[in-house]
Amino acid sequence: MSDSKEGTSRGGFALKILKGVGTPFFAVLLAVALGSLIMWLSGYDAVAAFRALYLGSFGTPKAIGDTLLRSTPLILTGLGLAYGFKANLFNIGAEGQLFMGGLTAAWLGVLIGTLPWYAAVPILIVAAMIAGAAWAFVPAILKAKIGAHEVITTMMFTYIAKYIVSWLVVGPLKAPGPIPQTNQIAPSAVLPRIQSLFSPETLQSFPFLALGRAHTGIFIAVIAAVVVWFMLKYTTLGYENRAVGLNPSAAETGGISVAATTVKALCISGALAGIAGAVEVMGVHGRIFDQFSSGFGFTGIAVALLAKNHPIGVIPAAILFGALSAGAGTMQLEAEVPQKIILIIQALVIFFVAADEVFTWKVKRRQKEAVSSVQ
Amino acid sequence: MFSSIITPDLFASALRMATPLALAAIGGTICERSGVVNIALEGMMLTGAFFGTVLTLATGSPWIGVLAGILSGVVVAAIHAFASINLRADQVVSGTAINILALGVTGFMMERLYGHPGTTDPSAMLRPIFNFPDPAGFMGGVWHWINVVVFSHTPIVYIAIIIAIFAQWAMYKTRWGLRLRALGEHPRAADTVGINVLRGRWVAVLISGGLAGLAGANLTLEQVGSFTENMTNGRGFIALAANIFGRWTPVGSYLASLLFGFADALQIKLQAFRGQIDIPPQFFLMLPYVLTVIVLAGVIGRSIGPAAVGKPYEKE
Amino acid sequence: MPVLELRKITKVFPGVVANDRVSLTLERGEIVALLGENGAGKTTLMNVLFGLLPADSGEILVDGSVVKIKSPRHAIDLGIGMVHQHFMLIELLTVTENIVLGHEPAHFGVIDFATARAKVAELSKRYGLAVDPDARIMDLSVGAQQRVEILKALYQGARVLILDEPTAVLTPQEVRELFEVIDALVAEGLSVVFITHKLEEVLAVADRIVVVRDGTVVGETTPAETDDAGLACMMVGRDVVLRVEKGPSTCGGKVLEVDHLCVKDDRHLETVRSVTFSVCGGEIVAIAGVSGNGQTELIESIVGLRRPSGGSIQLKGEDITHASARRSIETGVSHIPEDRQRRGLILEFDIAENLVLGDHRHPPYARHGIMHRRAIGEGALKRVEDYDIRTPSVHVLASNLSGGNQQKVVVAREIGRGPELLVAAQPTRGLDVGSIEFVHRQILNERDAGKAVLLISLELEEVLSLADRIYVMFEGQLVHEFAAGEADADTLGYYMTGGGSKKFGVVSDDATNDDERTEGDE
Repeated sequence: MSDSKEGTSRGGFALKILKGVGTPFFAVLLAVALGSLIMWLSGYDAVAAFRALYLGSFGTPKAIGDTLLRSTPLILTGLGLAYGFKANLFNIGAEGQLFMGGLTAAWLGVLIGTLPWYAAVPILIVAAMIAGAAWAFVPAILKAKIGAHEVITTMMFTYIAKYIVSWLVVGPLKAPGPIPQTNQIAPSAVLPRIQSLFSPETLQSFPFLALGRAHTGIFIAVIAAVVVWFMLKYTTLGYENRAVGLNPSAAETGGISVAATTVKALCISGALAGIAGAVEVMGVHGRIFDQFSSGFGFTGIAVALLAKNHPIGVIPAAILFGALSAGAGTMQLEAEVPQKIILIIQALVIFFVAADEVFTWKVKRRQKEAVSSVQ
Repeated sequence: MFSSIITPDLFASALRMATPLALAAIGGTICERSGVVNIALEGMMLTGAFFGTVLTLATGSPWIGVLAGILSGVVVAAIHAFASINLRADQVVSGTAINILALGVTGFMMERLYGHPGTTDPSAMLRPIFNFPDPAGFMGGVWHWINVVVFSHTPIVYIAIIIAIFAQWAMYKTRWGLRLRALGEHPRAADTVGINVLRGRWVAVLISGGLAGLAGANLTLEQVGSFTENMTNGRGFIALAANIFGRWTPVGSYLASLLFGFADALQIKLQAFRGQIDIPPQFFLMLPYVLTVIVLAGVIGRSIGPAAVGKPYEKE
Repeated sequence: MPVLELRKITKVFPGVVANDRVSLTLERGEIVALLGENGAGKTTLMNVLFGLLPADSGEILVDGSVVKIKSPRHAIDLGIGMVHQHFMLIELLTVTENIVLGHEPAHFGVIDFATARAKVAELSKRYGLAVDPDARIMDLSVGAQQRVEILKALYQGARVLILDEPTAVLTPQEVRELFEVIDALVAEGLSVVFITHKLEEVLAVADRIVVVRDGTVVGETTPAETDDAGLACMMVGRDVVLRVEKGPSTCGGKVLEVDHLCVKDDRHLETVRSVTFSVCGGEIVAIAGVSGNGQTELIESIVGLRRPSGGSIQLKGEDITHASARRSIETGVSHIPEDRQRRGLILEFDIAENLVLGDHRHPPYARHGIMHRRAIGEGALKRVEDYDIRTPSVHVLASNLSGGNQQKVVVAREIGRGPELLVAAQPTRGLDVGSIEFVHRQILNERDAGKAVLLISLELEEVLSLADRIYVMFEGQLVHEFAAGEADADTLGYYMTGGGSKKFGVVSDDATNDDERTEGDE
């Protein structure tokens, strides 16, 4: 995963953003176009489908709220994946770490009922971070010490996590009643809905604030994005992370411990995924059950790649996929297109972004080849 | 209790469960030996499973289903090959995209074709080839074991063993095998003696797709009898681990898959004793995945694959 | 008529003309040397000839007919064989498998190994290139590997053999053996193009010498008509100082003390066997030796990239035997690695970020884990100026610099840190003459400032010119020590191939080692 940092002067900042956005933009466009083609070939009304998609994601304040709701965990898992990618690590098991973070939040959230929100919420978030990091720790050590491919190990841990949760919600942590789920967390641990922060009069005057189920977790996600951006750009930890990702041999010669950096990177990535799980529990469901995550960990892969692993870029990328997810239900309802088309579009986006890297890469390689062949 | 666990059908079951893993793992071996990482074994297997069922439901013939499974695996592999070899995209990313694509396409098509998600109707299946009776007496006891473990299987189980042996021989004794290994170790050296690197890799990737597709067909047309969304459930990744454990050789991949298959069969058997041992079923279900991690952790020293694996090849 | 002719070959890359209307003829049975410094365009020209690159304009004629060489396979079919500077051998496979790869004798796809081995044996005998057909490449010495490469070209039916910098990794004795092989090939009717930047070799072996500079042919001559100074002048375009001037050294106290050091390589074989030496402040100590005799592992253990299995390393009295790379740097060891693109630089970082690698945790570049970008930028500007790094800005990516400038960045970083000990491994590999002079000057400045310098190099010229003391390393041991002026290339070569170990009765169990070596070696 390369760091496409162009050495331009200060004045080219706007140009830099445009350049960076250009190719992902086309990737999305192409993916959507191909998705429409598939829809049309399968006999669906693609136009109606996209109209419904738009309606369900941006058509009303409530729809926008739905989009934000689904984007929130995606920002966090996208950050986790991106941070790992910067160190050349593929944390495909973010889903499992998300589960463990959510589990921790659901379990602790029941126990800390007496604490006020400004204590409960941070405690749960930190606990979820630790849980997520811990879940990534064994794969991290295995990668650092013996080079075991993190894709396989974190994937295995994801299955294990799902089974653990599956057991807990029907066994030890089961709430009374017929449904396999945990108890409701304490009210102080709940992340309130954004619209609940305003008085009914304010909502009447500014209807766009009636954001449905969107909750304050989104602020946590955005803050996390800024923190990760700062870390990568301005801290020694971030420098070492990037160095190891680009050239572990040179990094090692420069005194950086590749093993330590690998472990830190995967654990931080896991921690971020853990927050995603916590935020889902605390802001949406209030408890955990078998299917509480609709693949946020995996969608995070597409988010990170689309954002070209840039922490701030993760935010719009996450919103895009959040919108797709929010609108998919409406699309199925109105145009009868199966929601699975979203997965297809997601895959296409990843393809076009991955293949698109070739264009910039090809140019860079030609320059390099010119330089090196003259040696 | 012990004697009711160690029965002939445990081993027979182990061979059955190992078969899809082995086929996919051997596909992974060939692909990686040529220098291309194939994370998409899972997606190719799922696709093969799906189209195996669809074509069998449509035509009534499971052999056509098998063919469909293989071909659909090849088609998916072609996408991976094009992205990884020609466009030189990151191979792990391309593989992941295929896994997601397979999930999406199979789910999408299921709703399109059958109107509902979840599981398809049951289809015709491939039946075991042999049907030897068990004579009575002492020899009958021994023969019963052999009969069940060796002769009770459906065609693809035997095909997998044949493929493992054939692929192993081919890799070390034929022109194709020598060149394949060269591609994965030092593609530029192969290029400079006139070997077509891109074509050699394409062939390897397509073969892996066909084998993974066959693995999927085995799942639906020999084991389960219908297709359920996401039914591969991580087998493609376990196959990757089997390939590593088997040191990138076809026979090694097969034997490693036997180990995982045995764990799977054992896990199912032990579930029957849940009344006596108070362990929740999820812990049994976890077993194959935990075993995979242990195997990867225990692989002595660093697992060294082909030297050039994962790096796209560019002609100067 | 000439067996091979290149007419006005031009090859352009973005921003640089690698070959500018280069013409060359090769007669049957002739040895032509293509001489030029690093970066002159020799390798590009041969890559065009061998079909690895398409020419932008110009013609190639084989036996008088114009041909378009589209691929290496095509070149091989035309009878052109190439032995590359970095061998195109597959380590895991055997000698025979490597030689026949691509042209395997087979029946219905099944390889006929018996025929293959027979052919290899026959060629080996005919040209005097001794190899063990069943040995794996990874177990062979560099000289043996080169013989395999030549056999490969011969097996494929080469009538023209291109040798790209073949002596870079050989001892003087092995170079002489190679020349004998070349003479044998030519006697059988082959023609040879010999690419090099080494003047003495060219004078020793070539029939004709073509000198290339900055992409054009600047002259053609024969060994009879010129000498090394004349050739150097043609190569570089100005008078070249062939030996660096330096004053005598004064020992300012022991800086590096290595005592009975033992180090194992990645295969757990002991490659550094009880090595003892020291380096004073104010002197340059060089270790000469054929690559693969333990130098790499020795350096790695001194700079903290590899743990020794025995013995000790002390820097000004402080024990750094088991120190990590980080602690070594902090204690005062700087390292110019032998592979600047792999170990020296992060090509995707810009110059500024590369210049702080190793110091990125400390003030003024970072405090409490936060990096100070402005300090980094200012520090980089100063280094760029002090070390004459040609770049429009410190934010240019390292990958966009020339080899010489890349090495200057590494040198600027490592020397700029102000170390007590500078470890320089192949510091001028692949550099043009101007950059070589610059790096040598920097190393001498360090020595004159009272610092200790440990130099490891394959270039005997460099060793003889810079070092105050020279050790020869053979099979993991230091087999002899010379003071400046006591040795010449031949003497060094003698010890580099084991002459010293037997004569001085150095303790070793290389009785068995020797046997294993000879099988695949001489």
